[in-house]
Amino acid sequence: MKLARRKFVGLGSAALAGLLLKGDKRIEGSFVNDSFPRGHLLRGRAGFPPGKRVEKIPVVIVGGGIAGLSAAWRLQKRGFSDFVLLEMSPQPGGNARWGENEITAYPWAAHYVPVPGPQAAYVRELFEDLGVLKNGQWEERYLAFSPQERLFLYGRWQEGLEPAVGLTPKDRDQFERLENLFREFRQSGSFTVPVELGLSSKFQDLDGISFSDWLRQQGCDSRLLNWYMNYACRDDYGALARDTSAWAGVHYFSSRQPEEKGPLTWPEGNGWITRRLLERVGGNIRTSQMVHRITETRRGASVFAEETEFQAQFVIFAAPTFLAPYVLEDFPPLHDFVYSPWLTANLTLDRYPESRGAQPSWDTVFLDSPTLGYVDAMHQTLRTHVDRTVWTFYWALAEGVPAENRQLLLEKDWAYWKEAILHDLERVHSDIRQCVSRIDILRMGHAMIRPTVGSIFSEERRRLRRRNGRILFANSDLSGISIFEEAQYHGVEAAQKVLGRLHG
Amino acid sequence: MGILVFISVLLVAACGLIYELVAGTLASYLVGDSVFQFSTIIGTYLFAMGIGSALSRYIKGGLANRFVWIELLLGVIGGFSSALMMLAFAFTQGFELILYALVMVMGVLVGLEIPLLMRMVRDRYEFRDVIAHVLTFDYLGALGASLVFPILLVPRLGLVRSAMLFGLINAGVALWSTFLFVDQLSATRGLRVACLVVLCALGAGMAEAKQITATAEDNIYADEIIFARDTHYQHLVLTRFKDDLRLFLNSHLQFSSRDEYRYHEALVHPGLAAVPAPRRVLILGGGDGLAVREILKYPLVESITVVDLDPEMTRIFSSNPMLTKLNDKSLLSPRVHVINADAFPWVDGNADSFDFIVIDFPDPTNYSLGKLYTTAFYRAVSRHLSAQGFLVVQSTSPMFARDSFWCIAETLKQAGLETHPYHVYVPSFGEWGFVLAGKHEYKPPRSLPAGLRFVSVGGLPALFQFPPDMAPLPMPANQLNSQVLVRTYENDWKDISH
Repeated sequence: MKLARRKFVGLGSAALAGLLLKGDKRIEGSFVNDSFPRGHLLRGRAGFPPGKRVEKIPVVIVGGGIAGLSAAWRLQKRGFSDFVLLEMSPQPGGNARWGENEITAYPWAAHYVPVPGPQAAYVRELFEDLGVLKNGQWEERYLAFSPQERLFLYGRWQEGLEPAVGLTPKDRDQFERLENLFREFRQSGSFTVPVELGLSSKFQDLDGISFSDWLRQQGCDSRLLNWYMNYACRDDYGALARDTSAWAGVHYFSSRQPEEKGPLTWPEGNGWITRRLLERVGGNIRTSQMVHRITETRRGASVFAEETEFQAQFVIFAAPTFLAPYVLEDFPPLHDFVYSPWLTANLTLDRYPESRGAQPSWDTVFLDSPTLGYVDAMHQTLRTHVDRTVWTFYWALAEGVPAENRQLLLEKDWAYWKEAILHDLERVHSDIRQCVSRIDILRMGHAMIRPTVGSIFSEERRRLRRRNGRILFANSDLSGISIFEEAQYHGVEAAQKVLGRLHG
Repeated sequence: MGILVFISVLLVAACGLIYELVAGTLASYLVGDSVFQFSTIIGTYLFAMGIGSALSRYIKGGLANRFVWIELLLGVIGGFSSALMMLAFAFTQGFELILYALVMVMGVLVGLEIPLLMRMVRDRYEFRDVIAHVLTFDYLGALGASLVFPILLVPRLGLVRSAMLFGLINAGVALWSTFLFVDQLSATRGLRVACLVVLCALGAGMAEAKQITATAEDNIYADEIIFARDTHYQHLVLTRFKDDLRLFLNSHLQFSSRDEYRYHEALVHPGLAAVPAPRRVLILGGGDGLAVREILKYPLVESITVVDLDPEMTRIFSSNPMLTKLNDKSLLSPRVHVINADAFPWVDGNADSFDFIVIDFPDPTNYSLGKLYTTAFYRAVSRHLSAQGFLVVQSTSPMFARDSFWCIAETLKQAGLETHPYHVYVPSFGEWGFVLAGKHEYKPPRSLPAGLRFVSVGGLPALFQFPPDMAPLPMPANQLNSQVLVRTYENDWKDISH
């Protein structure tokens, strides 16, 4: 044996240095992309400047999230490009916004789309356009790489998010029972994506009680099972099971075929789709344009944004519907539109923390954490060697009253949330403070529609979907659940109605 | 009271013997020649015990205090002896020195124990009873230890944790003695605190023992290490025994200079010799330049592009005289272009076409490497293949990792290629497999470059025959979103090592 003395000494000094340098490194960051200062102008019905310019344009799309962009995509694809899309923020994308630094692109909100089933025809069509679906095959590079999900529980890691460690026979029995129930609901054909296609009064009763009450009725009192059901509701609805309609809870588990393939994802999450859509319709988009008033006229509608009055024949209102009473004249107040507040953060990591033997996964969740864990933006890289990365940390402020949580989001400073995030991560990654160099935080007061009890079959919602005037609604909140497919569905549907009436 | 004292004797005796056995076993295990190791270690140990006994006469007062301290010291040194020796073997040159120093120190301490104990209890019993009881329990303890060690300790706990367990017992006896001999002790509280500290340290050691063993074993190579470097990407170790040079990357053997020609001739010639007029060749991985050496035997080849992640690797194999002798300075040839890049993004971003492509990556031991064995990767690579070209993939062992081998073959097939799997025997690796793939039929070449030592025209067809124990198995293709290969590979090797 030759002495690798250098190595020995190296190890010793590294250990010493480790002890001495345990001090935390400096973490930079700030709040980013705040949209509430502009939104609150609407709420305060601030005086906006009168229209100085008039532009005549047949179609105006309000809102540059997935719903608005999808409406634009459909118009463009049908050869109709006489429209503008007005977006309040400097960057379009809404919940499919993305960011980018020297390491990678990363999502600011939605980060995946489940492999669409046969009913999600518009989504499949879009993905064929974008090269995600080719000759019936999903592009391998866009499917989430393995290992996909991991859950930290009882001091160890497991693959997958459904708890599989430390289950008692009772837990197992309840998971199995529920799985059978969900299978029956799935086979009924009433729980579909998009929601509207399957919606049947047969299951309207489910919308009358909360998901947690329904679980109790099924005799499901297992702690692990209830954690998992609550996790699902927080993840997709930003709400606890007790604040979620049982219909929506069932929909989460019964609306898709249990497939091994998916989901589809990209380093910048659904921002990748936004980018592709912008390549196609970007020329028609005007950003930093806050629409503050829409009035119906005899032959159409006028949209007032900043200092311009757009005189349109049709308006597709793709912004969150809760804004309508503040913007549309004589629009009645809404009752069935409750929104969940969220916080997302992007953490720049100069190295991966110690993982106690677990291989880094795409999505990481901690049992019993109030947060939803994090997604690794570098997971979808084709590189074999990765030093630095960006984690997107998700936190639906589900516990408590949405309005109070929105207040909390506004009141607490960046350092407060930074500490809260690190504190959550630190329980699992003890060296996280030595890895992170930057934390940027996005606060979203109305991040997603909340499917509260009674909201899915709400008459108010149904009327808005069926609306047939000059102003059509298109946001995903029309479905009562905030997912990509719903936003895209309503956007495309609205565009088709407009096209039909323009040409009819 | 009496029986408790003698149980202490029994435990102390057992500990003493265990340390001796641990040292002997570890030395035989690491250095070999067990007769020599056991003889010298037992001899040294007994001799050191004699010294301890002789020294005991110089201890006059405070017997009980001294006894407790000796137990604690023995607990620490004996308890950590096995871990220390392993680390010494892995990281230093002076293994023997440390081994015998530890044996001496432990022997002296053990030699002190019994005389002190006898003197501590002499007032309580007749002299002949003291002698009889102490020696009886001493020998009983030794018997117990000698039976427990091979039957329970080594198989269940391993050497590192066995020593620590008995270190805990030594420290336990120390703590116990502070109660047993409380009338003869001074500063009892301090002693008890010391006992607790030692117990905690050993307890923590037990918990971390796995890590210690892993750290040490990663660094244990059979032969002399002549070069070791942590590059940005991997841990690179070169060992030599006589004329055998071996390269390890992250502790995995990459080649042995004695038989690497079998591997590299088999990797290159069956495919390359079958390509009519090959001009441009691509090697992914293979920064050791050994495949390049084989390719340079084709005068028609104008350009060889080597894409290897690690600049340190290609630099060493271009400059170290021992290594350039092995690869015939192949990386320095004007026909060779070395590019240090991550293979998948490079393949995606490059548009060149090649007549022969060698894919020679480390085995798919983790999800990162697993990406380089997927349908997505092979599809991307096959876009670079010229119409007449072939690509060849090092595909692990069809014998030891049969599922993995056929999984790689299936993956190439589902990437739209026609596959031709083959295998060779490389003594330092065992049976090894490759998959040749292309967009058209394969006909074995009718001529090969001169001077090959292993591959021959006549021997080629046999390489493509798989005996029943390596015959094809139905396997799924490996994809980025399934990574079945990494899981399969892990199971394949688990089945062999257990």
